[in-house]
Amino acid sequence: MDTNDGDEDEFGFSRNYFLAKELSGSGNKFSKKLSDINLVDEQDLRAAVSCLEFKHKTEIQSLINHYKSLYPTWLFELRCGFGLLMYGFGSKKAMLEDFASTALADFGVLVVNGYLHSINIKLVVIAIAELLWDQIRTKRKGHMSNMSQPFRSQTMEELLDFLDGSEFKDQDLVYVVIHNIDGPGLRDGESQKWLARIASCSQIRMIASIDHVNAPLLWDKKMVAIEFNWCWYHVPTFAPYKAEGVFLPLILANSGTAQTAKTAAIVLQSLTPNAQSVFKVLAEYQQAHPDEEGLPVNQLYTMSRERFLVSSQLTLNSHLTEFRDHELLKTRRHGDGQDCLYIPLSSEAIENLLLEIS
Amino acid sequence: MAPSATTDWPSPSEIGDNALQPCFVLHKALPRKYEKRSKEFNSDEDESSYEKLRSEAFNLVWSRIETAIKDVLKHSTSHLFKELHNWVHESFLAIKSSATCSLSEVTRPYPLLVDNLCRQLFTAFVLTKNIEIVDDLLTFKELGVHLKSQGCHIVNLSSHEFSVKHGIAGCFRSLLRQLVTFASNTPDISILASWYSEEANYDKPIVVIIEDVEQCSSMVLAEFITLLSEWVVKIPVLMIMGVATTVDAPRKLLPSNALQHLQPRKFTLGSPVERLDAIIEAAFVKPFYGFNVGYKVALFLRNYFLRHDGTITSFVRALKIACMKHFSMEQLSFLCKGIIDEDSKVWEKTCQSLPEGLLKYAANISSIKRNNIDGNVGDALADGISELMRLRNNWSAVVMCLFEVGKYGKIQLLDIFCEALDPSLPNCKALKRCLEEGKDHRQPLRRDAILRDSESLNSREGTFIAQAVRKVRDLPSASLHQLLKFWARHTEEIAEVNHKVQALLSTFEVEVDGQVVKQEENGMKRNPVSQRLPNMEKDKSQVAHEKAAMLAISMIRDYMVPIESSPFHEIFCFKHVDVLQSALIGDPRKTIQTDLLRSHSYLQCSCCSASLTPSMHDTSILYNLAQEHGDLINVHDWYESYKAILVGSSTKSKAKQKQSPTPKKRKVTDEPNRIEEASIQYPFLLLVP
Repeated sequence: MDTNDGDEDEFGFSRNYFLAKELSGSGNKFSKKLSDINLVDEQDLRAAVSCLEFKHKTEIQSLINHYKSLYPTWLFELRCGFGLLMYGFGSKKAMLEDFASTALADFGVLVVNGYLHSINIKLVVIAIAELLWDQIRTKRKGHMSNMSQPFRSQTMEELLDFLDGSEFKDQDLVYVVIHNIDGPGLRDGESQKWLARIASCSQIRMIASIDHVNAPLLWDKKMVAIEFNWCWYHVPTFAPYKAEGVFLPLILANSGTAQTAKTAAIVLQSLTPNAQSVFKVLAEYQQAHPDEEGLPVNQLYTMSRERFLVSSQLTLNSHLTEFRDHELLKTRRHGDGQDCLYIPLSSEAIENLLLEIS
Repeated sequence: MAPSATTDWPSPSEIGDNALQPCFVLHKALPRKYEKRSKEFNSDEDESSYEKLRSEAFNLVWSRIETAIKDVLKHSTSHLFKELHNWVHESFLAIKSSATCSLSEVTRPYPLLVDNLCRQLFTAFVLTKNIEIVDDLLTFKELGVHLKSQGCHIVNLSSHEFSVKHGIAGCFRSLLRQLVTFASNTPDISILASWYSEEANYDKPIVVIIEDVEQCSSMVLAEFITLLSEWVVKIPVLMIMGVATTVDAPRKLLPSNALQHLQPRKFTLGSPVERLDAIIEAAFVKPFYGFNVGYKVALFLRNYFLRHDGTITSFVRALKIACMKHFSMEQLSFLCKGIIDEDSKVWEKTCQSLPEGLLKYAANISSIKRNNIDGNVGDALADGISELMRLRNNWSAVVMCLFEVGKYGKIQLLDIFCEALDPSLPNCKALKRCLEEGKDHRQPLRRDAILRDSESLNSREGTFIAQAVRKVRDLPSASLHQLLKFWARHTEEIAEVNHKVQALLSTFEVEVDGQVVKQEENGMKRNPVSQRLPNMEKDKSQVAHEKAAMLAISMIRDYMVPIESSPFHEIFCFKHVDVLQSALIGDPRKTIQTDLLRSHSYLQCSCCSASLTPSMHDTSILYNLAQEHGDLINVHDWYESYKAILVGSSTKSKAKQKQSPTPKKRKVTDEPNRIEEASIQYPFLLLVP
């Protein structure tokens, strides 16, 4: 593998602002819209998944197998007191868990999925403490009976003191694997501070992966040099981010008609029948007058009052606020200066929506 | 169990429950397997036993190096600690003498009303000379331990505790927590007063150490100072503040009403460069701990220190990684254990009992490959290591001698150390010139040569050592006399050189004894150029200077053999600078982009090349396209280009056949069916975020 042949020049041209301007100089660039793409509904997309075959399956597998030869080195470095930080394109989840299962079988291993959006660091520390406690108790049967550890009621400082305990032997280690230590749930300073404290505990060894190019900016000098004590490894796997990407919204997919009508219908169904009817009045008007800017508020009030949907302007306003909050309604200024209400959906989507709620 | 490394697109069922848990236990420790491994370790044949030996050797070597570094750092701060302790003692006496306060008065819930002079806090500003606080964290921690051992109450506060968010309550609560065992969460100074009035705590100064005062919130710090100053007669608090920039910094930071409560005094820590020289001397030159760095690695470490952040902490970490990588990569590195124990029999025995595989490995070490070993490899290895040790001891003695000279010329040991490791040193032009000049000591050093050498002072050529040799000639007689004494001490193990040094020293003492005293008294310095003018008659002291310079030259020529020129040096010397660099400084920003631009070189497939082809990794195609479009990318165009790459070849040919005139028409003609479109869109949509 040639890892050092990425020249600065490779990136230089793409970063050139003037070149970018030149490319966009034709003026046609922004005239094309996303709606020009024949977007497929998300359901169809998901259906297509089963037919898709990922490229270079064999090559990726052999690349991952090649990294297996590094396992003894990684283990040696962990034993020497370093943490391992893996970076490079591709999911490293399966590889790290395989390493932990094969090379670290003698020790307890806890995995943290940093790619998830909410992670409670205290629960992680409690889980580590329980794992370590369990490990020590198993190894020294009967020698530690006088110690009881209600970890859940302890403070973070007490838990970290336990993990940093001087009374433990060198072999009493727990390995913590953190997938995406730069993930959305751990990207704040407070979480990183606690993770660094965990990594610096004498009984803990940390193995982590990063995928964001700016991940090192999360750490200060103290964290890098004293606490995490990383030994960097460049291990591109090119494996798909299966689990890591599961909660990422599909760009563009949400703007598909079916998807929008469905989400709007879910919101409307949670509202009162009268509110739904007010929305229907507006939707029907918009369908009947597609060329107009929208329906003026006072006209909507009159129409709704005539149908006994609202009794006062105040009630109507409360409905409108609800619609606005869920992005079902927007306001734009008419040519004569009047504020008009409109639904920011295509006529097809509105039609689907009306069918859905009726 | 770990999921298998399959590479299909995800389906909800495939992503296991564990992947959706914030954290989970992958597996618990397996005690049986552990015991089994321990038994296996007894077998000498087992490779893992040698791995274990290397791991143990690393721990032993690094613990020695670390202890040496810690001792050096401790020594470098001991003088300051002593000064600070004296200051604490004097300040405490001053507080006590300014206003007397009985034990009963201390507990009253209000401060004593005294004049302004008695409301000043004695404050020590410790200039750290280092903008990075990371080096000084340990220093301040040890200062706390030192002062505590001298009977002071110590509170260590960091800048985080002086934040606007937590206000004065935050730092005061932390202060209470560190002093009062059962402190309540209420930040009340009367709690501190009543604690101080206890028999065990009374009559001792309370020293508050703030590591990096410039990072504190000025408002909170000012409030803290004002509060403590009001109570200073009852609770004698002294402050020690770390200042990274200049002594003016507190004046700029604090408002005048807080400043007037401070009674400041300045102290200075040693600079990181001075400390680094001491570390190099203690850990790499004087003793041999079984690990050395090669020339390129030494240069890298030097540049890393000078250009990266200039902190000892980063340097030591880099050194530790180098050491660990050495023991991880070098199969015979465990042999250093015998060297540390200084028992030649141990390593001779170990060398002879090595398994076949390791002996074969030893026979193929690059430094001895060119000289084929005749006979037993184990014996050759033991002999080679003995020779290496002898050469290394000589080398370290000469480097120490040069360093003693360097001290007079303000040449850093780090520079001399790096130069002395250079295997191409004997071929170095500047040094050769210097050595040649020394051959005929009657020939004076030309002025143009001096200028030429000083011009290339900062170049990679070996000028630091050449400069040190010249410095020997230029030293005042008294300094030369002192220098020779140091040389005599350093060359004790090289009998031949030591004999020459002793002879020179005795001659020097007899011949110039009177002059030494005279020059010292008059404070005269030798003028190097005028003293060596050809038409000037050389006095006896000049002869001594030339002899000393000659001796230095012969030492360099005959005894300073760089470790990388010795056989079997690979066993103790780490030379893989690229390995160190990649482990120390990950560069995800550049590397991840390179991964995407050169995916084919990593995957080593036959179907892809440097140009964009449909077979390429999807993200790689997208990233290449993004690069081509520049920073202002339009998602529509991006998608269209991506689609064109994937279906491009087939649609292009179709388009040609149909001769479709307008883009609109072509779009309709070439549009794949919905499933095909979806198969293109799904990877695109998934990868774009």
